[in-house]
Formats: sequence, C-alpha cells, structure tokens
Amino acid sequence: MVDQLLTRTDVATPALSRPRRFRLINLPVWAWLTLIVLLPNLLLIGTSFLRIRNGFMTFEPSLANYQRLWDSAGFWALLFRTLKFSLLGSGIAALIAYPMAYFVGRGVRRNKALLVTLVLVPLWISLLMRVFAWRLILGQSGLLNSFLVSSGVLDKPSEAFLYTSASVVLVFTYIAIPYIFISTLNAFEKLPQSLLEASEDSGASGLRTFLHVVWPLTRRSLAIGVSLAFLITVGDFVTPAMIGGVDGTTIGVMISSQFGMANNWPYGAAVAIVLMLCCGAIVGIVMALCPARGVLLGDEGQRPAARDTPGARTLRLAGSLGVTLTVLFLYAPILLMAAFSFNASSMQSFPMAGFSLRWYEELAGNQGLLVAAQRSLLVAFMVVTFSTIVGTSFALILHYGKIAGARFCEFTIGLPIATPGVVLGIVMVLGTEWLKIPSGVIRTTVGQSSFVLPVVMMLVLSRLRRLDPSLLEASLDLGADKIRSFVFVLFPLIRGAVVGGALLGLTLSADDVMVTLFLAGPQQTLPIWVFNQMRFGFTPTVNAVFALLAVACLAIVIVATRIGAKARGATA
Amino acid sequence: MSLAEQPILVLDGVDKTYEGGTKPALDRVSFQVARGEFFSILGPSGSGKTTLLRMIAGFETPDRGRVVMDGEPITHVPPFKRDVRTVFQSYALFPHLTVRGNVEYPLRMARHGRADRARMALEALALVDMTSYADRLPHQLSGGQRQRVALARAIVCRPKILLLDEPLGALDLRLRQQMQHTLVSLQKELGIAFVYVTHDQGEALSMSNRVAVMREGRIAQLGTPEELYFDPASEFVAQFVGRSNLIPVTFQPGDGGHVAVIDGERFPRLNAAKAGPARLALRFEAVRVVPASEGAGDLSGVVEDVLFLGTNLEVNVRCGSLNIIASIPAARTPTLAHGQPVNILLDLSNARVFHG
Repeated sequence: MVDQLLTRTDVATPALSRPRRFRLINLPVWAWLTLIVLLPNLLLIGTSFLRIRNGFMTFEPSLANYQRLWDSAGFWALLFRTLKFSLLGSGIAALIAYPMAYFVGRGVRRNKALLVTLVLVPLWISLLMRVFAWRLILGQSGLLNSFLVSSGVLDKPSEAFLYTSASVVLVFTYIAIPYIFISTLNAFEKLPQSLLEASEDSGASGLRTFLHVVWPLTRRSLAIGVSLAFLITVGDFVTPAMIGGVDGTTIGVMISSQFGMANNWPYGAAVAIVLMLCCGAIVGIVMALCPARGVLLGDEGQRPAARDTPGARTLRLAGSLGVTLTVLFLYAPILLMAAFSFNASSMQSFPMAGFSLRWYEELAGNQGLLVAAQRSLLVAFMVVTFSTIVGTSFALILHYGKIAGARFCEFTIGLPIATPGVVLGIVMVLGTEWLKIPSGVIRTTVGQSSFVLPVVMMLVLSRLRRLDPSLLEASLDLGADKIRSFVFVLFPLIRGAVVGGALLGLTLSADDVMVTLFLAGPQQTLPIWVFNQMRFGFTPTVNAVFALLAVACLAIVIVATRIGAKARGATA
Repeated sequence: MSLAEQPILVLDGVDKTYEGGTKPALDRVSFQVARGEFFSILGPSGSGKTTLLRMIAGFETPDRGRVVMDGEPITHVPPFKRDVRTVFQSYALFPHLTVRGNVEYPLRMARHGRADRARMALEALALVDMTSYADRLPHQLSGGQRQRVALARAIVCRPKILLLDEPLGALDLRLRQQMQHTLVSLQKELGIAFVYVTHDQGEALSMSNRVAVMREGRIAQLGTPEELYFDPASEFVAQFVGRSNLIPVTFQPGDGGHVAVIDGERFPRLNAAKAGPARLALRFEAVRVVPASEGAGDLSGVVEDVLFLGTNLEVNVRCGSLNIIASIPAARTPTLAHGQPVNILLDLSNARVFHG
C-alpha cells in the first residue's frame, strides 16, 4: 500500500549508502518481524487445520474446519453481511470525506489547519467511547427518539434505531470518515494548481478537468483511505456487539467468541483466515479499480488559490455547509456524552435531570476502575517507551542501514496495522502463547507493541525519506562523526515525527480493546474494564470516565500540535 | 479596417489589484498584438508580466479595462472557451498521461475523433522532434524534452494566440539557445501570434518583433528590439535592456548651451538643454580602453578586473570615484591586467542622458 504518486524528494537516495550484506545491527529487525509478525501468523494458519477434542486442541491436521465453514450457510451469510457493512460504511464515508477533502485541500484559505485538526481529533478519542456515545443518540430514550417524540413525529419512542444493521453501517461510516479524509486531503494538497490550469487552458470545463486530471491523480489515495477504513471496521467487534444487536452481528463477534466463550480456537482461526483472504481480495480489487500512474515531479509549482467567480462562491458556500454538518456529525456523540456525565439522574434520557458531579465522585471511590486505570498507564508507558525507541531505531536501520529486503521488512513489520483488529488479537494470543509469555501486563504490552511500533517506525521513516540527504552529508563533511551528526543534525530534524509517533502510540495503547481483550486475562486495562461494565449492565460512571479520557486525549493533541508547530517553525 | 489589419489581441486600460495587495499588479496597461507577431513582455520579477499573461489566458479577470481577441471582447470568457493556449513555466504536463496522451488532451476536449487525434498529435510532436517519445510518461523525460512536449500540446489545436510563460527558464544555456531557434522557426511556420513572457533581455531582443518592457505594473516602453536598445525611454529601460554604465554627470553652463562634466572632466561633445545633475547611460561596447602608454583618452583610470566572455572582454576600470565597464573584443593575447593604468574613450553617439 505504498502511494505511487511520490514526489521527487521521496525517492531521493539515502546518504551513506553501503553495499548490502549481513550485519549484526539488522538482527533485531529480523528477530522482530519473525517472532512478532511471521511466526504468529503462521501459527494462525497452522491452528486452523487442527481440531478440538474434549475441549483441548489435538494435533490431527485436517480440512475439517474449512469443510464445516463451507457447509455452513450461516457462516456465509455472516461473512457476506460483515463485508457488506464495512464496504457500505467505507463507501458512504468516501462519498462524504472525498469531496470534503477536495474542498478543504483546495478551496479553504483561512482556518484550514483548524478544520483539519477538527476532523482528525475524533481519531484520537477512544473508539469505545465514540461507539458507546451513539447509544445515547440512537437508543430508546436517546436524543433521536426524544426529539421525534417531542416534535410529534412519533407517538412513542421507536426501537428501530439501535440494534439494527443500519445503525452498524452508520457507526462504521462515522469511524471511517476521518481516515478517508486524511489520506485524500494530502493528495488534493499535492495536486499542482498549474495542472488544473493547463487542463482548463486546453479547453476542458471544470467537470472534465475533474474527470481527466483530478480523479486520476487522487483516486489511489482514496483507495488507500477506503481500504484502511474497510480493514479497521471489518475487524471491529466492539461496534456490532454494542450497537448491532442480533441483526448487526458480524464475523468479528463470531471469531472473538470462538476464542472466548465457545473456546474453539481452530475453528475461530479458520474463520479468521477466510476473513483475511476476503479482505485481501477486496483491498486488491479496490486498488486495481484505482490505479496510479506517473510521478509528480514536485516542480509543477503551486499557484494562487481558486479564482473568485460567481459559481465558485456558490460552491464554497455549499462546501462550508457540508464541512460544518460533517464536523457536527463527528462531534455530536462526544459532546452528548460529556453532557450526560454531569446529569444528576441515572437515566440516560431527555430531558436531563440537572447538573451534578456525583458520577465523578463515584469514580474516585471505584476500586476496580482505579486499578484498571493504573494498569492502563503502566501498559501505555511500557508500550510507548519500547515502541518509540525500537521503532525509531528500526526506521534508522531500514533507511540508512541498507538492510537486504528493506521494502519487505517494512511491509512485514507494518502488517499488523493492516490486519483487522480481531484477527490481530487472536494472532497475538497464539504467538504469545507459543512464546510462553504469561497473560497479563507483559502479554498486553507485547500485543499492543505489535501495532504501535510500526506506527512510530512508519512516521519516522516517512520523515527520513523527506529529509534532504545532503544535510547529513554536510554534517559529515563539516567534521562531525556519525554519532555527533545524529545528535546535532538528524535527531533534531526527526524529533517531531518521533514525538508525534509516541503520542499517537499513547492514545492507541490507552484506547485499545480489540487486541487487549484477548491478552489481558484477569488483569484488565481501563478500556477492557469499561467494555465489561457495559456488557454486564451500565452505570453512568462510564460517561464520566470517557469525559475525562476525552479531555486527556485533547490535551495530548494540543501538546502534539504545539510541538509539531514548533518543529515546523524550526525547519522552515 | 480590413481583417488582415485588425489586431489579434487588444488590451485596453487593464487594471488589476490582488486581494490584500496594496500596489496594483497591473496599472492601466494597453497594447495590441498583430497577427503572426512575436510579441515579448520583458520585466523583472514582480513587474506584473505573469499577471498580464494569466489575464490573456483567462485565469485572472481585470478590475477595469477590456481584453479583445480578434474583434471579440473576451474579458469575462473562461479560459477553456478561449482560443488561446499556454506553455506553462513548469510545463504542467499531466503526470498520469503519456506524451501522446498529453498532446491529445486538448483535441479530446475539443471532441475530435480518435483517428484525427492520433494524426494531429503525431504532426505536432513531429514539429518539435519528439515523435519517438510518444509513449513515455512525463517523468521519464528530461527537462528539454518536457518543454518540447508542452509546446506540442499548446500548438496542436493551432490556437490564435500562443502564450509562453518563461518557457526556457529551467533549461541550460545550450538548450536555451537551441530552443530559441526552434521557437522562431516554429512561429514563422505556424503564423500564430506568440506572446512571450521573460525576464531575460537576450531572449526578448533576439526573438521578438516587438517588446513591452514592464515595470511595477506598467509598460515602461514598447517598441522594436532596436528601438529599446538604441533609444531607451528611461533609465530603467536603459539598464534593463542591454548592458549599460550609468555615469553621474553634471551639466554646467558653457559655450552654446550646457556642457557635461564627468568626474571633473569637461565634455564639450556632450550638451544638454538643462543644467544640473543627470545620469549618462552608456553601453559597455561604447567604451574603449587603451593602455596609458599607448595614447590619450577622455578619462584615465586603473583596471580593477577583467572578465573573459569568449568573444568579448569586460574590463572594469576605476576612474577616480567612478567604475566604468568596457566591453572590448577579446584578443588572443591578453593586453590588460589588474592594476594596469589605462585611458578610456567614450563613444557618445548612442549615449542617452536622463535628468532628475
């Protein structure tokens, strides 16, 4: 999934090139990708051919699990429904996010950074919380019903909104929008204005310019965004479990139950493999439908923003309206949840009873929650420290070390990011089980690092690729050795990416349910504790937890943006 | 007025101030371009020449004034409906289309048939000698080749006017000279009016029928290359076109008018109607240098440095408080060296005096 439309700076050859050969420094990279990525995935494949006898796995290789799947009409219906939900959700999100990215990327002149941050902030706020918040809107006593009943459209609250397939698609759309927005925004920003003018100059109207120039140059980014959103939603078993009800069950729920209550790992593994194959096929088709061709040379130049014509003004008005509505859509559940955390009544319904801090007071006295929160902090600290140091080192090795098969290593280490959450969860269960890592904090740390480390690594790598290679050469030329060049030149230049990766890793770790649920055992982290609370009855304390978490996430985002702005100021 | 005499392009009192800008980018600009003319717009960066070009192409609308093409007012016609093509400074080749696809693009937009398109595109590519690269993508071409493709794309539809926005800026010297010849012969062959924007006076003078020199949004002078070169209307033009010394001079009352005084020396050959300080614009090649031992001159000085430019030498001579540069034919054996005392002779027949 590498963007083919690289700018020339991206393909610059790294400094310090050396012949490719085996070197000791490359060993950790190979060890990581073997033990954490390849081996667990091979175990998954192997397990799918085993059987369960008397509640234990036995080594009797057979195709029995696949035979059972093949014959099961229920499985095919479930698989089809799962793929349909995710494709619909990602597709609808694309219809919203792609025009919005076009508008923000090319039409907006003022407050652009603010708009982009607004759309991206929800990515940093707990997925669990955002999903849960939708219950406040769609539920029987939720916002939507209250509004419809009080305005006289309905006589009594409807049950039709929550626990349906439509509600799952809605929430998937909600999850997908920021991902598709961010990956297409970049493509629109990179698109040189001179190409659009050249098209117009050649006699093409606005529509034909879009069809023949804009679309071919942005479709690959859209495909990447849609694929990402698809993979994230297809492996999501939290949303269907909380929002979907019976009609909204997906294959993720089925896999997680095979590794949970049903306790049939081989069967679950077989389901996971079929899911992975389907995902691979769908992503392949999406990519094939949106081919990338040619290379932007980066010297096409950026011209003044769009001209003021009456048509453009109307379009801009429509664009602003669309963006406002989308931002409202993204924030409504979050704001609603924050409001309910101050609600005096324990009933989650309108009208609210009055202002109260009782849920926050209850939090302070809740022993289970405090222990879980402490554990979350511990896990997050270990995951972030380890992933940042090792991920940055890996990026440096891959970029400068001339490791044999650098592309392969990068792709393989990054694989967990592209693995549907539920599958990654069971893959890590199998891997850590085999490596004899005890369940609990250590196992959770390893499991979360499997996807936090590649995030840090890729952020740092992309920064390294954009660096002017002659900067490091200049430092060496001016008499600094490699270590001092790193300390005084390289590190200050990549610090922004390292810190950004660490902060993103922090929220990813603090928020994770999909993977952690399988690994934590009795040692629950905060999101797992909350998830269990919600499954076995609900207390409004959860609103208060989430409100606090959201504030913490926002604080991190603000700090990150500050650091980012400083870093940009320093390099500009 | 017969059709042949009607200008292909008329700009009439065009004003433009950008949003948030304090100074106008274009200030009452008027000119006409004749059919088949090679018209250049010359000026330093920020003088408004690119704005002017974008206005002809339709990417900018004037605040005031009119743009008329072939008798039709087109001030508010969008770019894609104008019979004008642009060769962009950055070439702006579509990265996802082959050379052929790029050249066929305007034909496709004009809804030509497939066979038609292929034939016309090949013809246009043949004109710029790029037929053998038809199936390459832009990033597989060199800068000069991309330039030719951009040119082919712009002329394939035979527009009435071709706009060129510093098209040679990114090329090396040899390619630039080669492309100048290509452009001139192409323009003769096609008979299309070329409007050529550049900051390189050499390009403008060598290729154009007429040149408009721009300064701060206005036309400083409009004329043939010869007029600009030998008869600059202002100090700015004198300095920008060709290479000139600007020598401070004072006119003092003398016999038969006012006589020039340069660096304390009286020049009875140079007279003016007005007394007081002025500046004398003198081309480098109007200055001769002789070694002090070989003869007298108007002024005496010392050689500071000598640049070898192939056919010419540029000699920088220090005369008292002045530095005067002379361009003299290069000799096989250098006769002038740093520190050598010399006398210089000024050929005042083409000199211009600017008061104020």
